[in-house]
Amino acid sequence: MCPERAGTRNRIARGQPEGALRERSPLVSCRGLIKTYVQGAIEVPALRGVDLDLARGDFATLAGPSGSGKTTLLNMIGGLDRPSAGDVVLDGRNLATLGKAELAELRLHRIGFVFQSYNLIPVLSALENVEFILRLQGIAPRERRQRALEALADVGLEGLEGRRPAHLSGGQQQRVAVARALVGRPAIVLADEPTANLDTRNAEELIELMAALNARLGTTFLMGTHDARVIARAQRHIELTDGRISSDETRPAG
Amino acid sequence: MESLKLLAPLAWRNIWRTPRRTVITLIVVSVGMSSILLFAAFLEAWAASSRDRTLTLLTGSAQIHAEGFLDDPTVKRMFDEPSGALADALQDSGISGWAPRLIVPAILQSEYRTMPITLVGVSPAHERAVSVLPGNVVDGNYLQDPADPGIVIGRKLLDHLKTRRGKRVILLAQAADGSLAERSFTISGAFAGDSAIEEQFVFVGLQVAQGMLGTGERLSEIALRVEDPEALGPIVERLRHAAPGLDIRPWKELSPLAAAVDETMGLMIYIWLWVMFVLIAFGIVNTQLMAVFERVREFGLMQALGMKPRAILGLVTLESGILVGLGVLIGMAAAVVAINSVTDGIDISFFAEGAAMVGAGTMLFPEIDPARIVQLSFVVWALGVGVALWPARKAAKSSPMEAMKHVS
Ligand SMILES: Nc1ncnc2c1ncn2[C@@H]1O[C@H](COP(=O)(O)OP(=O)(O)OP(=O)(O)O)[C@@H](O)[C@H]1O
Ligand SMILES: [Mg+2]
Repeated sequence: MCPERAGTRNRIARGQPEGALRERSPLVSCRGLIKTYVQGAIEVPALRGVDLDLARGDFATLAGPSGSGKTTLLNMIGGLDRPSAGDVVLDGRNLATLGKAELAELRLHRIGFVFQSYNLIPVLSALENVEFILRLQGIAPRERRQRALEALADVGLEGLEGRRPAHLSGGQQQRVAVARALVGRPAIVLADEPTANLDTRNAEELIELMAALNARLGTTFLMGTHDARVIARAQRHIELTDGRISSDETRPAG
Repeated sequence: MESLKLLAPLAWRNIWRTPRRTVITLIVVSVGMSSILLFAAFLEAWAASSRDRTLTLLTGSAQIHAEGFLDDPTVKRMFDEPSGALADALQDSGISGWAPRLIVPAILQSEYRTMPITLVGVSPAHERAVSVLPGNVVDGNYLQDPADPGIVIGRKLLDHLKTRRGKRVILLAQAADGSLAERSFTISGAFAGDSAIEEQFVFVGLQVAQGMLGTGERLSEIALRVEDPEALGPIVERLRHAAPGLDIRPWKELSPLAAAVDETMGLMIYIWLWVMFVLIAFGIVNTQLMAVFERVREFGLMQALGMKPRAILGLVTLESGILVGLGVLIGMAAAVVAINSVTDGIDISFFAEGAAMVGAGTMLFPEIDPARIVQLSFVVWALGVGVALWPARKAAKSSPMEAMKHVS
């Protein structure tokens, strides 16, 4: 397991000398993305040709009516599923060229996820859930603990490190998920409806937290959401309609 | 190694997420495991009992006869006392004792009854080195020497003849010259063996028998005792080489029943192992399938986070391994306690008739070799983990997209 992991790190590291070029190139680039789900004889078109670039540091929301393809697009960008046609290039690597295990490595090192619910491994404490990523990354115990504690402090959960998910509120669970998404120092965090199960206060706190982390760490965020409070806070807003991008606005920061 | 450090605590906690289910699974596995071990101990005790009976009561480890005696055991089929090469071969250090015998079918008469029996002329000192019967005299005394004028008969036979120690009986048998030999004896003792032997065999001094039947110094049998089972084959070979004209056979050929019991026991243990194993397999597969179906989303989450399918397979297999391993250990401990609690033996005389039929005594002394316990337990554990690979593979196939699915 470990040599493989080291290999991936090296591959990622080897990309760095061209940093100047890469800084200008988009972090995520989708071209002609088509996804059609086949259910028996029925074909369900979920994405009908999506072209999308995300720049490094973007804090973007992805909205649209139910069934418009938000989750599907996040799945494609996150390497959780493969498109029927088109390409996703993430951090200079075309996902279509990667095998299952390589995709897993890519997710582990380059992508952080925040899901709508059941985000955490129930038998692990908050701290262990965050550490889980670092363990998979092969980080040494001392550094692992240090970074996990910091990540939990960043999301305001000092003192709750030892609690299992069942003993955390929905808002606290989502904060742990955010800490876990960021602790591995990914290039991008993908979140699907992160606030859907939260009340107004918790939702607002979570979105403020993510915006602050985006500003401080420069990590790119892409969030699928219906939540107007989230959309209002976004610096860039993308609308999907029927599997196509129907609008894409960037607001001046502030 | 690092991955084991990650997976082991996770596996352990996952097992205890559903304590009730885990306890039930542990019970199924441990009951199955202990029943395998107890059955093995019991059967091995049975085989040992039947083997010991053959080896120590009368047959010995091997026997020498004249050609044809075993098919037609009459006074005609005899051989000379060992001399030359055979006498030398009998000095083998692997042979702990050998007993010359004269054996003929005969009739024994008391005041009330007449019974067909087998007369055995013995040399008491030699006999003691081969058979436990001389030490099993429960009433009176065994013969003192080959010229002892007394007769020793079985307890059962004493009852059948409605006579007792000190009384006289008359022995009738065909002599070497074809005439009918007849002689009266005083009963000097009664021995205990198993009922078949008590009813059939009657012992007199070797010289007395030879004199009565006019055989000179000829013998019909030499029984010999070899302590080391491994040494028996080569010793038989050497004896055969030394006395090519004689019929020399090891106990497995002389007593095919005892040999068959010995060999079938191993097979029966494995049959039982499989029967119990099917039970264990159902238990573990059922439990793990349930556990996997309940956690499809969680396995998806782990994969989405970057855990490889192989690690998921490892996690679920580890869970099965711990679960089955715990059950096996509990079953092992229970079996060891149970076996040690009956070191005084189990009295199976309540079905002694059946037991006697397959050649066992009425007391069994179950015991089991620690190496065998470990071997059987390992087989069960490995097979259990093997079948649990099925649910583990199902878990590894969970899609990372599960994590994205919306619930509620
Ligand atoms: N696994 C699947 N199999 C078949 N069809 C699917 C699958 N996943 C999604 N779809 C279909 O693809 C289309 C897009 O679904 P998707 O989940 O991406 O929409 P969404 O914008 O995330 O919707 P929501 O706001 O309800 O979450 C829908 O018509 C949906 O029914
Ligand atoms: Mg969705």
